[in-house]
Amino acid sequence: MSFAVESWDPSYGVSADETAMGEASNPVDLGVEVRSDDWAPIQPGDDVEPPTSLLFVDGVRRIDARVWITGADGRAHPGVCATVAAGAVRCRSDSARVAVARVERALYTAAPEAGPIVARIGEGSSTYELRPVVVTPDTDINQAMNLAVHSHMTAIETSLDVPAEPGEMIVFDGPLRGREAAAAVGYVKTQHVQYLPDEQQLIVNQLGPGQRTPIFLIGGQFTRWSWYLRLPGPISHPLSGVVRVELAGLGQAEDAAGRADEISAALPRYASTPHKDTRAPQNLHPIAGLERELRRRLGDPHLMERALRVAAAR
Amino acid sequence: MVGRVIGIEDATPLEFWVAVDPEQTLQLDDVVALDRILPDGQLVRIFGLVTQVRARHEGARFQSDVFLISDGILPAEVSEAALVQPTRFEPEILLPPLPGAAVRRATDNERDIALSFDDVDRRLPAGLSRSDEPIFLDLDFVDGTKGAHINISGISGVATKTSYATFLLYSMFNSGVLGAEAANTKALIFNVKGEDLLFLDHHNSSMNPEQVARYRALGLEPAPFRDVGILAPPRKGDPNATPATGSRTLGVSPFFWTIAQFCQQGLLPFLFADSEDERQQYTIVVQSVTAQLTKLPEGGDGTVRFDGRTIRTFSELVDAIETKLIPDDPDDMVDQRWTGRAVGAGTINAFIRRLASSRRHLEQLIRADIGNAERYALDLDAHQVTVIDIHSLHDRAKRFVVGVVLRQAFDAKEASGVAKPYQFVVLDELNKYAPRDSSSPIKEILLDVAERGRSLGIILIGAQQTASEVERRIVSNCAIRVVGRLDAAEAKRDEYGFLPTVQRQRATILKPGSMYLSQPRLPVPLLVEFPFPAWATRSAEAGLSPGGASQSGDPDDPFAGLV
Repeated sequence: MSFAVESWDPSYGVSADETAMGEASNPVDLGVEVRSDDWAPIQPGDDVEPPTSLLFVDGVRRIDARVWITGADGRAHPGVCATVAAGAVRCRSDSARVAVARVERALYTAAPEAGPIVARIGEGSSTYELRPVVVTPDTDINQAMNLAVHSHMTAIETSLDVPAEPGEMIVFDGPLRGREAAAAVGYVKTQHVQYLPDEQQLIVNQLGPGQRTPIFLIGGQFTRWSWYLRLPGPISHPLSGVVRVELAGLGQAEDAAGRADEISAALPRYASTPHKDTRAPQNLHPIAGLERELRRRLGDPHLMERALRVAAAR
Repeated sequence: MVGRVIGIEDATPLEFWVAVDPEQTLQLDDVVALDRILPDGQLVRIFGLVTQVRARHEGARFQSDVFLISDGILPAEVSEAALVQPTRFEPEILLPPLPGAAVRRATDNERDIALSFDDVDRRLPAGLSRSDEPIFLDLDFVDGTKGAHINISGISGVATKTSYATFLLYSMFNSGVLGAEAANTKALIFNVKGEDLLFLDHHNSSMNPEQVARYRALGLEPAPFRDVGILAPPRKGDPNATPATGSRTLGVSPFFWTIAQFCQQGLLPFLFADSEDERQQYTIVVQSVTAQLTKLPEGGDGTVRFDGRTIRTFSELVDAIETKLIPDDPDDMVDQRWTGRAVGAGTINAFIRRLASSRRHLEQLIRADIGNAERYALDLDAHQVTVIDIHSLHDRAKRFVVGVVLRQAFDAKEASGVAKPYQFVVLDELNKYAPRDSSSPIKEILLDVAERGRSLGIILIGAQQTASEVERRIVSNCAIRVVGRLDAAEAKRDEYGFLPTVQRQRATILKPGSMYLSQPRLPVPLLVEFPFPAWATRSAEAGLSPGGASQSGDPDDPFAGLV
């Protein structure tokens, strides 16, 4: 028996679950860059010039407290108080700086009589703005609340006011989800869906460090150009270090392929190493640094929880 | 604003950290100020001195993250912080500054308050800060009003201890801080090493305009000392007693004691470094002989009559004493008035041995073979500055001269009964004259000066390589402590407890011309740089004659080559 230990920390699950990978429900066009029969790993050439500046966008969320809101009818409705933050880090050849960061706190609940919660800390205060959760009788309320927190974070990510510089690419952590800016790049660390037929999936397994697959077009609600890229690092199993990258499905395939080369040439530089990151190499250094910074800005969790308990008692 | 008080490290009234604004810098020895408003609305101003600065990456977790950060891969912030030691609270309400409080640079009036110069009436210029601003001493702590004496430590070869002592003297005489008293104030300087101090009255040809400006920044005009008398021991074997100096020949007078002075003033014990040590049996012989010598009749011209003979030289005196103590005929009884009671032959021999060994080193200093010996009597009031050159003498002779001269100065002040005019005494190598572990007449005199000199107006500016080897009571009586470069092991000693840790470390790398100055008014020692001597410190620097013009080029760094 030969086996490999997943390089990610067990608490994060696995970076790619081949046996459990769902079949893609969206139509996939394999023949946009090369014919599907001619698929082979592509090494971006030396003449490819990666963008001089990359903007990495990411968000974090933390549940500060779970609350119960009792209405006039005496029924208790569950709610969640959470702090979410999103920010962007701009990386150039000589500096990486957090360009923007925004923190918001909110109360997510389906309770009809809910209102914002003001938590006092010292002389200052933080307000958990109300974000109502819509539930239908057959939705799981906890799942709905978690989803609300996540979509709040994504909303901040999308609405971050970072003026992109000319030639800059904006890398979002996760799929593009409808972002249509030409400079936007989706960066998917974990592979839950198998977009490629088995024959082309084998090409993914054959990728060397820094190599990418030909691009393919994913149809459906949001059209996207996409490809797989293997980041540098130890290869313990066929999909270790493999990420999927997305571009908005605009323009011509040749242009998209050219940009795929540029991005594929740019990203390996940011790959993390196992001793520094439990999700190496996919969790890129700038994103890990940004997440740490954002978590710091969320504030002290114990302080927030206590402030909420005090607010509840008043 | 240069920064804000950090909240993740304790801020205390004794020290606190300040995060430095990225657009600003704070360096060691900078003076800062901040405000705190009390709940009742009262304003407390806190002043302090930067004693440590640090910079670090925030957001980095591994050492190698620095490469990722420099390559623009990992986001991180550079953060600088400065450790501040408060020097003063105004009014004196000892509270910590609050985290987040804005810190500003203290300039002009605020700097004076921070360094407590504002309420000093008599400011003695003591040097410049590293940013070329004047630093003062409170004369009250020098002249005996509130404290007295200055002690200077530092390794040798950096030539700063005596240079700084003479600079302070110069400042004392010329800054006007002494007022009308300056004219009558006297200084006695022992030149113990080299010929550094023999050219105090010569212009320094190495002075350059930059150094002149440094003097003027202190309100001083660079010039040599005005009224200097140089005394040197007579040349060995020279019947005319011409002074034994190397490079300086003009304006030097010899000094010595006549046999009569030696006997009548009871100077014999000063020949024995350890004669007051009770463990030494022969001290009783020293006391008896000293007592007997005072009874000898004078023979004119500084001689004494001893058993019918006229004693003219130290050799003759030693021989005469020997004859008294060891009779030619072993069966004769020894005169117990000379030996003391029940003293064994071994003890007498120990005394004779020590006395005889001093002969070679002291015969040129104790003599009655020169006519008109009164001319050479030591007069400490003849000049404003009297330099006594002892560098060419043997250690035993050095101790004798220092002990006897100090005693003379001390007795004179004691007899006058008033503190003014002041008598300053500059003595290097205190460890030789007042060692920690033994007792001697010279040490007793120095202790007297240290402990009683304050009220008598006799002020010691002592220096030594290592304060740990000097009698504790002498060092602890000095109100002003100065530390130049220290040996690393020495810097760890308790004697330098007044230096905070960082200053102790810095003291091992101080460059020539820089000293730490600790004064009672300030809880933190200050780094001072003093200007290059305006007087020559060796013959090569000496202008052609006193009052002559500078004659050589101006070196960029006048301290170069001193390390």
